[in-house]
Amino acid sequence: MTNSIAEIENSECMLVVGSNTTDAHPVLALRMKKALRNGAKLLVVDPRKTWLAERADVHLQIKPGTDIPLMNAIAHVIISEDLHDKQYVETLSEGFEEMSEAAAEWPVERAAEICEVSANDIRRAARIYAGYKHAGIYYTLGITEHVCGVDNVRSLSNLAIITGHIGHEATGVNPLRGQNNVQGCNDMGNNPVYFPGYQEVADAAVTEKFSQAWGSKLSQTPGLRLDQMLDGMHDDSVKALFVMGEDPVLSEPNAKHVHVGFKKIDVLISQDIFLNETARLYADVVFPATCFAEKEGTFTNSERRVQRVRKAVDAPGQARPDIQIIFDLAKQLGHDWGEAQPSKVWDEFARLSPQFSGINYERIEDEGIQWPCPDVSHPGTKILHEGAPIRGKGKLYPLDHIKPWEEADDEYPLTLSTGRTLYHYNSATQTLRNEGHREKEPECFFEISPDDARDLNIADKEAITVQSRRGSIVSWAKVSEKVRKGVIWMPMHYAEASANTLTGDGRDLKVGTPEYKLCAVRLHKS
Amino acid sequence: MPANTLMINGKDVEVLQGESLLDACTKIGINIPTACHDSRLEAYGGCRTCLVDLDGAPRPVPACKTFTSPGMKVETSGVVLDTVRTTVDEMLACSSRAAIETWTDANRFIGYDPAQCIMCDRCVRYCDEIMQCNALEHVGQGSEAFIQPTQGESFLDTSCELCGGCVGTCPTEALYSKQSLEVFDKQSGEAPTTTRTVCNYCGVGCIIDIETQGNTVIDIDAQTGVGPNDGHLCSKGRFAWQFINHPDRLTSPLIRNYDNGELEETSWENALAVAAQKLSAVKQQYGADGIAFLASSRCTNEDVYALQKLARSVIGTNSVHSCAAT
Repeated sequence: MTNSIAEIENSECMLVVGSNTTDAHPVLALRMKKALRNGAKLLVVDPRKTWLAERADVHLQIKPGTDIPLMNAIAHVIISEDLHDKQYVETLSEGFEEMSEAAAEWPVERAAEICEVSANDIRRAARIYAGYKHAGIYYTLGITEHVCGVDNVRSLSNLAIITGHIGHEATGVNPLRGQNNVQGCNDMGNNPVYFPGYQEVADAAVTEKFSQAWGSKLSQTPGLRLDQMLDGMHDDSVKALFVMGEDPVLSEPNAKHVHVGFKKIDVLISQDIFLNETARLYADVVFPATCFAEKEGTFTNSERRVQRVRKAVDAPGQARPDIQIIFDLAKQLGHDWGEAQPSKVWDEFARLSPQFSGINYERIEDEGIQWPCPDVSHPGTKILHEGAPIRGKGKLYPLDHIKPWEEADDEYPLTLSTGRTLYHYNSATQTLRNEGHREKEPECFFEISPDDARDLNIADKEAITVQSRRGSIVSWAKVSEKVRKGVIWMPMHYAEASANTLTGDGRDLKVGTPEYKLCAVRLHKS
Repeated sequence: MPANTLMINGKDVEVLQGESLLDACTKIGINIPTACHDSRLEAYGGCRTCLVDLDGAPRPVPACKTFTSPGMKVETSGVVLDTVRTTVDEMLACSSRAAIETWTDANRFIGYDPAQCIMCDRCVRYCDEIMQCNALEHVGQGSEAFIQPTQGESFLDTSCELCGGCVGTCPTEALYSKQSLEVFDKQSGEAPTTTRTVCNYCGVGCIIDIETQGNTVIDIDAQTGVGPNDGHLCSKGRFAWQFINHPDRLTSPLIRNYDNGELEETSWENALAVAAQKLSAVKQQYGADGIAFLASSRCTNEDVYALQKLARSVIGTNSVHSCAAT
């Protein structure tokens, strides 16, 4: 997030895109609820009628995968009606001309047609967003999990920059992280092209710095992204996989294809707190690890705040802290890193990563600190890009519509979208083991619009089979006004009805993020 | 906001305009008892526990709902106030409420004991103002009053999101966590221990307090004014902790027996040796880039830092990525 969670309640306007915030980030949503109570305007872009959408001043219930035409049209309204922040654009941005020309290709009527929403609603949304000083954008995976995920994000940053809605209270471009340590996992360099602290592998000086610090000659060959690893398992370039706390045969798209890859590799080592499906089927060695309540360390939340994780109970049986297991394995492979002490590991990271150098365990004993925090006298950074964008000038991108990998057609006429519910969490290894949550939502379902249900002669709670070109799932229909005609929606939590049986091979064209948010399906009574 | 000067217990105090007398007193270290007050809710003034004497007012006023203005003179203790407070306490602890036969509910998280209820309405107001779910209501009057799920339906069938915020804000133990009651061992006499940490679900980073008794988690709660969550939690954060002590947890290293295809228990020594040997063999045959590492964004920063260091400096590959890529 460019901005911080507590600020949200001071918003005058919130533009929430592809985020069912009250279900997926319920506590952050309380800040939005408070802002609403205080009279803030709310604009929601979502194919589903979420809790927030029902209360929105404008709900743009777009056809999935049409975010760029919509955002281009909104930008075009703002520019053509002279509602943009001309001083900000002139002094603190670059690429305005190219961007505005690309946006002009999407007059409101054209966008309205492809997005399947009202042209007037697009105009209203544009005027409201541009009309308030404290207007922030909030998004989640409804934006990123598309073939055009990166460009979707850029379409939002374009809006923030042309209106100058960045660098001050309750504004900015704010991705809400789906997991406790998404932010931290990236910060720590679990990335094929970045060392810790976003320092590039391609930079020889950086590689040399880490080589010296770690006492071994490091490779400058860029590594593989997750999607490329899965490909590599098929073409024999990846022969061993070490998986810490993941269950890829359930969590990666086009599951059938993923299984084929796992059957081909020579070695799989898994480290987890439960015996997950990937490990059960394919692991050669499984290490029992510890959950968050059994170890010391830190998590970094969505607002870049590094916070202390503390041990409350002992791990069961012989389970060991993840960090201990990695140190043990390093030693077994001839690299003795000494004692596996979390605070020392943090200090090593902070010493090597300038944006984090000011954070240590002592400073965050009572309250977390938000990075960037370059030195120990620095208080941390609540709002990014304050005064001016960090890179000097905010970059505006000319964008155009990119079609999804697979669109609905005559054979598979419905679009499937997936997501999280309030009561479960991802592959639900934790929440389905809680009796109360399991009882509340015990099994998979498909939300289907009343129109589609009528056309297909399907009643509420009726058993149905949903098929894509990759596989099929038998479940039941939840006839609901929440979804629009032509779209069905399912939760991603249930192993026995895994969404990835259906999802396809679409990936973001720039960074490879899977297109979980839509694929073409058909359904019939079971 | 401009400052006001007023006098509390004979001392001049600078406060901000619009601040309540309760906030002003708290700021200068005067502790005023409260019951219906929760700083996250709108001032209510319902329970009268926080009464103070205000010069010129005909009777004591609630400090939580009286807002400061210049020149106010306030006394926070005295014979009359003490008497009034004692009476208020007696009224709140209305013992006849214990006899009310109220509801039980099929949900596994939230329970209610009318005997403990002081009818401060914090739970009802929390559900209305903060959650905006309106899943609780105040029924009846006086000693006959109690709290119930809206329209007397089960929490499982209403707009209730099972967040347990009502339990969190309850100043007594009228609303309680059923899960906690189930595992708390009263007989043992062992006092619970509190550990402050971070929730392990979404990326909001709620600060939580894990209550333990021995090696058992017995509750998760949060404190007002602490962390990005300001004491709020969702249903998962507050209640989804049974997995920690779950019998399905892995408790021993496992190794594949290739004769029968089963995973079997083994020692740490053997598991580490086999893993190292297998990784080394792949590296020797296919090079370091034949090995890839996948981390989870559920793990700590230190865990994932160590993993990418293992990949890069021990194995020699940059093929390290995670689910955080979405």
